[in-house]
Amino acid sequence: MPSNSVIFDPTQINLDIDSTLQTQAWRQSQSLSTPSSRWNGYLNLLCLNTILPWLREDYDPQIEPALSASSLLSIWEIVNGVPITLGSNRLILIPTESIDLDEIRIPQEWVDIPAWIGDYYVFVQVNPDDGWVRIAGFTCHRRLKQEGRYDWRDRTYSLDDSDWIADLNVLWVSRQLHPEEATRTAVPTLDALSLAQANNLIQRLGDPTTPNPRLSLPFHQWGALVSHGGWRQRLAESRWGWQVQGTVLQWLQTGVTNFAEQIGWGRMEFQPGLSAARGDEEPTTAIALSRQLRIAGQPYELRIRPLDGDNGRAWRFELQNLTPGGLIPAGFVLRLLTEDLQPFEGNEDTADRAVEQLYIEVALDPGEGIVWEIEPIPNQYDQEILRF
Amino acid sequence: MRPRQTLIERFSTFLQFEADHFQNWVIEPQLRRSIRNCRDQLPETEVSENYWALYWHKVWQVQPDSLAREHLAAYVQEVCYWVAQKTTESFAMTQYGLADCFQMAIARLDRVLKGFNPDLGGNFKNYASATLGSLIRESLRQRREIDICSDWALLRKLSQKRLTEAFQNEGLSNSTIASYLLAWQCFKTLYAPKKATGTRKLPKPDPQTWAAITQLYNRERHAQLDFESPSANPDQIEKWMERCARAARTYLYPNFVSINTPKSDQDSGDFLDNLPDSTQTSLLNQMIDVEEARTRETQKEQLSSVLSEAIVQLNPQAQTILQLYYQARLTQQQIADQMSIKQYTVSRRLVKVRETLLRKVAEWSQKTLHISPSSDVLKYTGPILEEWLEAYYGRHEPLSPENVSAE
Repeated sequence: MPSNSVIFDPTQINLDIDSTLQTQAWRQSQSLSTPSSRWNGYLNLLCLNTILPWLREDYDPQIEPALSASSLLSIWEIVNGVPITLGSNRLILIPTESIDLDEIRIPQEWVDIPAWIGDYYVFVQVNPDDGWVRIAGFTCHRRLKQEGRYDWRDRTYSLDDSDWIADLNVLWVSRQLHPEEATRTAVPTLDALSLAQANNLIQRLGDPTTPNPRLSLPFHQWGALVSHGGWRQRLAESRWGWQVQGTVLQWLQTGVTNFAEQIGWGRMEFQPGLSAARGDEEPTTAIALSRQLRIAGQPYELRIRPLDGDNGRAWRFELQNLTPGGLIPAGFVLRLLTEDLQPFEGNEDTADRAVEQLYIEVALDPGEGIVWEIEPIPNQYDQEILRF
Repeated sequence: MRPRQTLIERFSTFLQFEADHFQNWVIEPQLRRSIRNCRDQLPETEVSENYWALYWHKVWQVQPDSLAREHLAAYVQEVCYWVAQKTTESFAMTQYGLADCFQMAIARLDRVLKGFNPDLGGNFKNYASATLGSLIRESLRQRREIDICSDWALLRKLSQKRLTEAFQNEGLSNSTIASYLLAWQCFKTLYAPKKATGTRKLPKPDPQTWAAITQLYNRERHAQLDFESPSANPDQIEKWMERCARAARTYLYPNFVSINTPKSDQDSGDFLDNLPDSTQTSLLNQMIDVEEARTRETQKEQLSSVLSEAIVQLNPQAQTILQLYYQARLTQQQIADQMSIKQYTVSRRLVKVRETLLRKVAEWSQKTLHISPSSDVLKYTGPILEEWLEAYYGRHEPLSPENVSAE
């Protein structure tokens, strides 16, 4: 068999899939619910984990997936594609196992859900048998909306091979020399779902015998459901047959679940009010839930702790800089929202000058879900529902 | 193969194969009339064949359904023949002959037409040659892959567009095609490989899976098919899937004659025989405009010096790779072996070098021609760069690999 170099177009990149990585990708994908979603996860992992090291080495060491590994799995449970962050641009990798490249189909989610849109869409042919991936070309959101044919049957935009740009160098050079080029087109916002609607849909679509949840309800509803990271996660977990995640109080008392740990949550002991503890009294230790974040290149920590012991009604959310002596720059916002993303009174704290800490104290009902947000957006941020 | 001698021949004749060999050139009368007409409108200037190709390409852009496409199809016949011959020689694949490769290439003529931009002063023949070459290689890769796939694996590895065209090729009705496609979607939704590799040998689904596919089809048909369709049973669905795979395989070998002749009936006058006279005259005048031709030549020279300079500034390893690739014409694997680096390193370096050169061209055209380096412009610049590299290294003596010092 002739080697790849003979048979491939020399202007296109083809990369070998590392065999250890292939085994790993297969194992990781097995947690998904159906043979198709497992296969989808596998192809996406092969694509991401082969392309990322190359992009980092040859283009930009800062390139990373736009979401954490656990959030990505919940995406692959329902749809094909990987978002990655490239400086201020978002790039969506669309793997395909098709032998011919007469067309590429891009799931509507990546094109019409405002928060999911990419600047660029990169098409990647994946061949697990021979162990290679090939970059087949790219387009941008604007062109995809212009030239793509929408197919209501499978809810994809399809592009013919003559409508995308095969040479990825065009992306790098135009991005550098012509940064003003518009990559995106505006799309209409999706009407928000109520909590009751969302619960209802998650229950219905969370059954893994529903083979294609993305096609089982009108797009505007589906889009609104999965663009909420927390609801998408709940939907995926339900399809995976996971136990309900438990409450923050339970995490504090009996330990953080595996999943929460994967996202980065952990228990920590600390001394509240350090300055007050300078007196003679023995400092008391308290326990909090904490998670490290990276925001604008700096490490921060988000802490959640109960204010009234085991009662579990009053809570304090705190954000602080982890760099010794570091402050929170002016303009940062810490915000809490209800599970269906509604604001409430006293739900945010803004740094109008550099401060040591941003904090919010709230009283919550048992079982209530809270979603936190920070501006600027932390790396790999995905909305998550914390249950109290 | 007997090369065509006159301009008129080059734009109005088609190559005929006898078995796997060149037989003769067949004249297409309508095309001959057309090119004669055009030539007679020109003053007695000597106009190169590339200018004619650029002219027809411009006409094709204005009028995609005109005779222009057929003139260009006639024109690329020779290029296509040589590319096909070169590919068959270098691949030594017994199952595909010269005529097969020729046919694969000529079937993708629209890719050449769409990808070429006449405004950038490129050479149409060179562009066609490079593009058809990579299209043949791509087709061969696909065929080899399809040949070793089981039917069930193949079904998962086809684009919907390819499958739809395969059905249309068999003359199936739109409603039959819609039913098959829906069943195919259901198949793909419920049947996926259960092992990490060896996916080409994907076995036939078990009866349970067929039942599930059928159930899904019967449920979805109400919403997905916009006509009344009866429910299907598992045997039927299985037969349909076999039919899909067969259609896809057959579609790889389209009828030869149907492709290498003009699209519609010669005598019916379906073609827009001519553009409005004014358009035609202005395009023709533009083509032979001496001033414009001179400007174009100057630009070409400038570009060439920009690139030659850029190449000298590349690091020694990059220069060596370019020499081995374009001058000694080694494959990436051979370059890798000679330089004791990995093949993917060669591929990545080549791509990186092209990026550097593409940036130089873009900067130059931004500064000199005031063309902003948008992705739409750059997309056409890549092939010109490739053409230039071929010519630049082709000017030098063909190099024996031993004479290139590996840094």
